[in-house]
Amino acid sequence: MSSKESCRNELRTAIRQLSDRCLYSASKWAAEQLVGIEQDPAKFTPSNTRFQRGSSSIRRRFRTNEINSTPPTGVAYVSTPVMEEDEAIHGDFYLLAKSYFDCREYRRVAHVLRDQTGKKSVFLRCYALYLAGEKRKEEETIELEGPLGKSDAVNRELVSVERELSTLSKNNMIDPFGLYLYGLVLKEKGNENLARKVLVESVNSYPWNWSAWSELQSLCTAVDILNSLNLSNHWMKEFFLASVYQELRMHNEALSKYENLQGTFTFSNYIQAQIGKTQYSLREFDQVEVIFEDLLRNDPYRVEDMDTYSNVLYTKEYFSALSYLAHRVIMTDKYRPESCCIIGNYYSLKGLHEKSVMYFRRALKLNKKYLSAWTLMGHEYVEMKNTPAAVDAYRRAVDINPRDYRAWYGLGQAYEMIGMPHYALHYFQKSVFFQPIDSRLWIAMAQCYESEQLHMLEEAIKCYKRAANCNDTEAIALHRLAELHRELGQPEEAAFYYKKDLERMEAEEREGPNTVEALTFLATHYKTQKRFEEAEVYCTRLLDYTGPERETAKSLLRGMRIAQSGFPSMDVEHFHP
Amino acid sequence: MREEEIEKLRGVIRDCVSKHLYSSAIFFADKVAAITKDPADIYMQAQALFLGRHFRRAFHLLNASQIVLRDLRFRYLAAKCLEELKEWDQCLLMLGDEKLDEHGNAYDIKDNSAMYLDKDGEDREINISSAIYFLRGKAYEALENRAKARQWYKAAIKADPLCYEALECLIENHMLTCEEETSLFSSLQFGPEDGWLSSFYSCLIKKNYKENVVEAKFKELGKESSKTNLSSQSFMRALKDNTDLLACKAEYYHQSGEYQKCFELTSGLLEKDPFHLKCIVVHLAAAMELGQSNELYLMASSLVKDHPQKALSWFAVGCYYYCIKKYDQSRRYFSKATSLDGTFAPAWIGFGNAYAVREEGDQAMSVYRTAARLFPGCHLPTLYIGMEYMRTHSFRLAEQFIMQAKAICPADPLVYNELGVVAYHKKEYNQAVWWFDKTLALIPNPLTEMWEPTVVNLAHAYRKLKMFHEAISFYEKALTLSTKSLSTYAGLAYTYHLQDNFSDAITYYHKALWLKPADPFCSEMLNVALADECRQGIDPKLDLR
Repeated sequence: MSSKESCRNELRTAIRQLSDRCLYSASKWAAEQLVGIEQDPAKFTPSNTRFQRGSSSIRRRFRTNEINSTPPTGVAYVSTPVMEEDEAIHGDFYLLAKSYFDCREYRRVAHVLRDQTGKKSVFLRCYALYLAGEKRKEEETIELEGPLGKSDAVNRELVSVERELSTLSKNNMIDPFGLYLYGLVLKEKGNENLARKVLVESVNSYPWNWSAWSELQSLCTAVDILNSLNLSNHWMKEFFLASVYQELRMHNEALSKYENLQGTFTFSNYIQAQIGKTQYSLREFDQVEVIFEDLLRNDPYRVEDMDTYSNVLYTKEYFSALSYLAHRVIMTDKYRPESCCIIGNYYSLKGLHEKSVMYFRRALKLNKKYLSAWTLMGHEYVEMKNTPAAVDAYRRAVDINPRDYRAWYGLGQAYEMIGMPHYALHYFQKSVFFQPIDSRLWIAMAQCYESEQLHMLEEAIKCYKRAANCNDTEAIALHRLAELHRELGQPEEAAFYYKKDLERMEAEEREGPNTVEALTFLATHYKTQKRFEEAEVYCTRLLDYTGPERETAKSLLRGMRIAQSGFPSMDVEHFHP
Repeated sequence: MREEEIEKLRGVIRDCVSKHLYSSAIFFADKVAAITKDPADIYMQAQALFLGRHFRRAFHLLNASQIVLRDLRFRYLAAKCLEELKEWDQCLLMLGDEKLDEHGNAYDIKDNSAMYLDKDGEDREINISSAIYFLRGKAYEALENRAKARQWYKAAIKADPLCYEALECLIENHMLTCEEETSLFSSLQFGPEDGWLSSFYSCLIKKNYKENVVEAKFKELGKESSKTNLSSQSFMRALKDNTDLLACKAEYYHQSGEYQKCFELTSGLLEKDPFHLKCIVVHLAAAMELGQSNELYLMASSLVKDHPQKALSWFAVGCYYYCIKKYDQSRRYFSKATSLDGTFAPAWIGFGNAYAVREEGDQAMSVYRTAARLFPGCHLPTLYIGMEYMRTHSFRLAEQFIMQAKAICPADPLVYNELGVVAYHKKEYNQAVWWFDKTLALIPNPLTEMWEPTVVNLAHAYRKLKMFHEAISFYEKALTLSTKSLSTYAGLAYTYHLQDNFSDAITYYHKALWLKPADPFCSEMLNVALADECRQGIDPKLDLR
């Protein structure tokens, strides 16, 4: 990795260039990373670093292994790019255009720059046109909204923007920013292969545009695709890889990348938030909580990624903390999709599902592609027993991101509720494909196979086995496995699983009807197997319970004694070698 | 009066004519003619009368003077008067009875050694016989004898390539098929200094050439400039951006479906010359394809205000209504346009389309038939008749008509697509693939959304041939052009289903149903696929993990 100072210089230049081109998010991101780099304490007064120092002690708490400050990575970029600037005469037009852009008057931007041929002007013109089209699309969507905001509105500028950019790129007259926009347009038009190619070209020639990386990340839907990308080495690539790994659910790889990056960008809130999100996917809720609390202390008005925090609070049912967070984001910025999600979660936890749906809907009004809001809204609809609406919401979620296993699972559940096991099964399979370590999914799938319409017990058993191998917290799998085997007339296997289930219940010090059932079966089973000693052990344990089983146990014991005394010859034979 | 005074008076008359003071011109011409009795002065008087719109009087004057039958110019002017009076039979009679041989060369039965008084000769003059042929053509056209009209127009342009009007009539009224156009063009004899005109004409008479041909022609025009000397170089450069030429380019863009490009070009042109008729037609058509109803409304209103008697104006109104999907109104206005000017081809086609879109096949067919009769050089009516037959599943008839359209214009990709569709419906899938391939070969790259159906058709045909890999690759290609097509998703899903790839099949059935939730084929096939997948058991891919 290149030195901190060179990173800093690169970022400083990049921020100027990005904001000059009105790529606001990318420049914000770059600035955050710039401040995230650990300052040289010798050079700065404490007041400069106070903001960063904040709570580094807490940060370190969860760092699994201390990282050497500069882990080796491939060849780094050294050269700071010198972007060619348009001539001064055109500069005046550019200044006017940029001011219009800042006031969000996109069409005027395009008009002012209509005859400009400099790369910078061409980019801003096309970008403004694209945004004008997007804006109009949003408006149209609201005007002609179908159920759940489904509409056929399209960005009408896409075609002309694409045509212009493709001609430019054919003639090699396009700069990395133009390429980024071209990639964006291609992606929107569904031409993903070309979009990937163009974006790779863009980030290879100008790696500091995080927006380009994010678009590229959203197009990397499988490891094979990632591996096929021909990316030059640069420290920005590490950020990208981490983000892709995170999205591809390769959580450990992602974590190690982020921790590496923290070597240089020690105080980057972005990295910390990403680590939090990854830990959330790993279901390490305690850690996530600490991370986000810390983050909020440093950056109290942060709204980004805070919905993950609220999810944790929701799962852990921390009413007061969630309420506090909700009130806080309302004061910061009420009309952000993240804020709405947090409030939605809050109402959901309070059992006010209608209100909660309202807020998720608002989140989606603000950002139609806000994945988690769709999924969470689906959950709320399920709670409200409004299956069709739930199905629709989940559909939208998987439409946006087909790797969202929660939405697939929700779809499966919804279809199971309306008695369509074939559909449900398909969706469970999907969800299990993306999250094979979650026992709930396997169990849901197994139950589907068990349903009357399908009745494929063999397959159900396979699923339960998988569930049992995962961490089955609710301990359904073992029990059902045993029962199924018993139903299929396979007493050996049934006994095996009953025994395992029993062991587990003992370990967790749990008792209930399942215990009785297991004991009864085992007792009977060993008796028919003529393994009386084991049978007796189970029978005696059964005697501790009340109810009809106790009588059964008694009669079993009696039977065994008669058998042992009545048929000694069996024992004799038994002692024969 | 003395000779020089008369000469001065003649000058006054010429000046009056050029200042459009026709009454004065008539007054003085009458006096001069009375004094001199010179045929040339009589001609001048007749000319002044003609320009002053006293046609009957001019004709009478010419007829009264004995020279009329001997001098071609007199005869021509007399015929022009009759034309204005709409006495077509008389007009033809006046022009004499030349005939055309099978090569289109004119000959006179009785050679009457026409006298030709060259009075105010310009340096270059349009051959008078060319003008006569052209007028004869117009008379025949007015008499609805289109075959003869066409012959005489051709004769006119052959007699003198500078007679642009004849060429314009032939092209704008779609009188010639593609082949005839080229053969006519090659038979034209240009003067040595008219090289530029030759290339200019060759740009005008294109009918769906491939892009490179047209581009090459435009380049040729550019090159022409570099060959010749400096002064003509700038002249050629100016010509390169000539509106006529660029309007042709726009028309070409329109034909190859690049509506956006076309629209931008015509918008620019109309800024320069807002009343260029040909350009307006192309502009309207492009705006309609792009759904620019606002633009259409403005154009239509201003056209109707400025030229209420022109077919074009009402055609524009029809286009506007067609664009906002009010087909009944649009039909009414297209019909109005055709009744104002029966030779305005776009209105006829719009008229037919407005019927066809409402699935009123019979009416549409009758309109198309009329159009096909009126415009033998336009392949669209014939093609549309074929499409209408296809809709009623009369594939043999459809094929016949489409083949006919292909004969008229062998370069339009749309024709080949339709042939492919016919072959597909006749279950001749190999043939269909062949036609679709040919279609795609004729389309300039990169493909635009307009040609997405062809790609899908090709994929369907491959699927029917059980060439699933090819089918899938073409379906995917279609998806890069448009992601809003039900049939692409359904086809792709079904192909995967046929390959026993249930998981992908289900995904794509879902996508299809997302576009149209009530589609019976997809929802039924989805159920089948889900059951199939279930029967297959757990995906072995999952167990590998």
